[in-house]
Amino acid sequence: MTTLDDLCQSVIEGDRGLAQDLVKKAIEENIPAERILKEGLIRAMAEVGVKFENGEYFVPEMLIAARAMQNGLSLLRPYLVSAKVQAIGKVLIGTVQGDLHDIGKNLVAMMLEGAGFEVIDLGVDVSPEKYVQAAREHHPDLIACSALLTTTMPRMKDIIDALKENGLRDQVKVMIGGAPVTESFARQIGADACAADAVSASTRALELVLELKKG
Amino acid sequence: MNHRERILTALNHREPDRCPMQVSFTPEFAARLEADMKLRGQGLHNPHGGGNTYDLERALDEDMLLTSVGWVNGYYQNGYQDVESYQDEWGVTWRSIEYRTRFGLGKYTEPFGHPLADDHALDSYVPPDPDRPELYVDAERTLRDYHNDYWIVGVTPTTIFECAWGLRGYEQLLIDMATDPGRANCVLDFPFHYHRTVAQNLVRRGVDMIWLGDDVGGQTNMLMSPRMWRTYLKPRMAELIASLRAINPQIKIAYHTDGVVYPIIPELIEIGIDILNPIQPMAMDPFRLKNEFGDRMCFWGSMDIQQTLPFGTPQDVNNEVLLRLKTIGQGGGLIIGPTHNLQLDTPLENFWAMINAIQKTPYGSLS
Repeated sequence: MTTLDDLCQSVIEGDRGLAQDLVKKAIEENIPAERILKEGLIRAMAEVGVKFENGEYFVPEMLIAARAMQNGLSLLRPYLVSAKVQAIGKVLIGTVQGDLHDIGKNLVAMMLEGAGFEVIDLGVDVSPEKYVQAAREHHPDLIACSALLTTTMPRMKDIIDALKENGLRDQVKVMIGGAPVTESFARQIGADACAADAVSASTRALELVLELKKG
Repeated sequence: MNHRERILTALNHREPDRCPMQVSFTPEFAARLEADMKLRGQGLHNPHGGGNTYDLERALDEDMLLTSVGWVNGYYQNGYQDVESYQDEWGVTWRSIEYRTRFGLGKYTEPFGHPLADDHALDSYVPPDPDRPELYVDAERTLRDYHNDYWIVGVTPTTIFECAWGLRGYEQLLIDMATDPGRANCVLDFPFHYHRTVAQNLVRRGVDMIWLGDDVGGQTNMLMSPRMWRTYLKPRMAELIASLRAINPQIKIAYHTDGVVYPIIPELIEIGIDILNPIQPMAMDPFRLKNEFGDRMCFWGSMDIQQTLPFGTPQDVNNEVLLRLKTIGQGGGLIIGPTHNLQLDTPLENFWAMINAIQKTPYGSLS
């Protein structure tokens, strides 16, 4: 087993202390930061996604794996910056206006980070204006909107309309999710994708960003 | 056949005159409905039953009346509509937030400040006292006034896991459950002990059924593994239910969990749960549940509030009622109703289509 294999395994098992130690060890071994990221942390979170899809992992196991990944990433970040390693893409994520539920949104944010995205989390009860303002400021590739309630789902259309009115819609992909959200609702409001859970959100996000970059 | 008899017949897996019905509403939907029915307002409607006059439920010819004691009442704590945040007696801080629908503005609440978020807080935490007589005044009144005609349900959901997540925070509680069983057990025991005593006190006062619950299902799968549920929640639920049956062997036990929980249903039956609620059709297939478990378990709910009731047509609603009566309701075993409190986004036409279809479809007309 190499250090990166061990690192990968420590994240899968959610051992945050060990994950940090192994990131330090990998840095000391002069393994390039990008390799530590991709072959240690991102590989681990991909495996966590597979375990989730297979019904082997559930939310608690994902949470501790994501926490281990974030602990490792926080040590690695300065090295990624100095090596000018670019994120796969930039995502703005939030729970829509009038909705305070953040369990699903937080899991999606963790999985996106674990897939190599830069994630800007706008929190809960995020108005369309706030999405537009953040989109202007951060130039994201993807905007991800979450809602748990049928009463707040319609705000997703308001966000898309606000992006259009401000001339931003063509520059960004929009993905929606949450318990009552369906593919047909996504089509109806003009979103680019709908995701049923945090793992499929991360897969769809990769596809969408690839599409965007191809033009 | 009065309301009690209708419920009892259904719970004995036989077909009553019509399917028994239970419908709950958010306060805003209740106010709209009271205006539509020209009923005198009864003050703020509590979807969990506490403090209600049951004017709406009785006018609608519902069959069971709910009366709640426990942490769940924090969701609609008195005065929540006038403030941005408040604290309940457990020390949980709640946020109240406005949403708008085509039928007006509503407010709902969600816990956001957790008194046991800090590890050290666990050592000195004292939960509320479940034996205060004033907690049971409503239940006693409900039993006194309505027990002859109605099926009275003692409501104590958010029994263990959900109240514990209010106390500790959702992510931290799940992390504890995965990494620190001692701490997780300590947090889970506060609501477990409290709601066990509350449920026992309600059974002693004569309610017909106790409604327990903890959301352990998500839209596509369980939130936690069945193994984790077996470690932390199943033994506590089993002990709680056994303690209720020791007081009244005839007591019926209903259990609420949103979402998908297929893997644990046989064990819910094993620990003594008679009725599963709410059967969200976009998460679990009601027909499959009836086929697999319908001889050993009854069901409560099954009318979709994620699509049909808010976004469907009255015809869609009517069709869904008939489908449920012919499938999950076949041969009895179903108390029909929406899978959660009806919210402001449900058109009144859809609401009345549901009520009319249920009330105007005798079981005898279905064959």
